[in-house]
Amino acid sequence: MIPMILKLRARGKSGKRFTLWLPLFLIWIIVLPLLVIPVPFIMLAALIMWPSGRGYLIFQAYLTIFRVIGCLSGFEMDTESRNSTFFIVLK
Amino acid sequence: MTEERKKILEMLSEGKITADEADRLLSAISKDGGTGSRTTRMEPKYLRIMVEPGPESKNPDKVNIRVPLKLIRAGLKLAALIPKNAQTQVNDALHEKGIEMDFSQIKPEDLEDIVKQLDDLTVDVEGKESVRIFCE
Repeated sequence: MIPMILKLRARGKSGKRFTLWLPLFLIWIIVLPLLVIPVPFIMLAALIMWPSGRGYLIFQAYLTIFRVIGCLSGFEMDTESRNSTFFIVLK
Repeated sequence: MTEERKKILEMLSEGKITADEADRLLSAISKDGGTGSRTTRMEPKYLRIMVEPGPESKNPDKVNIRVPLKLIRAGLKLAALIPKNAQTQVNDALHEKGIEMDFSQIKPEDLEDIVKQLDDLTVDVEGKESVRIFCE
């Protein structure tokens, strides 16, 4: 499932803290069509380059982009140093 | 006879392992059987990497990363698609860092095995910093 919300929390040297909730589903509404629009062109390029063996790679690479986006949900990173903290989670 | 026992005995008959090793493996299997390893195990979904300062460390930095195993699987698939000449460059860069790994050897059929092996991975390193890598 694609991540729908990005939560970001950071604290800098000044001690100022900020938290950001980013509704990714709103971004996907814009980004996903941009990823889908080039599909016919990519399919065409893949078909043209199929005999050389690169067509399969182009096709697979494009599919993998969607696969990676779909697997991002659940990623979490939390770092803490003396002066700063940074936390990011994709839900 | 279970599949695991059969495999051990086959390895013994083929001379891949010694009788002592086979004995140890068989007793390990029987111990596992007694503690209920046959109960359905929850499949791990994430790989957790934790770095915390050790008792003697002056560096208070902490890192806690949770990576979905699905993402690792997708990443490995992407890595398998890297063109040959780029793979050589990656391998050279890793070699310079002392990591002996050949990306060109990763075949799509091996990916599932690699991720499955990650399920059982637990790394604990205690030094200046404590590093823990495990699946959850």
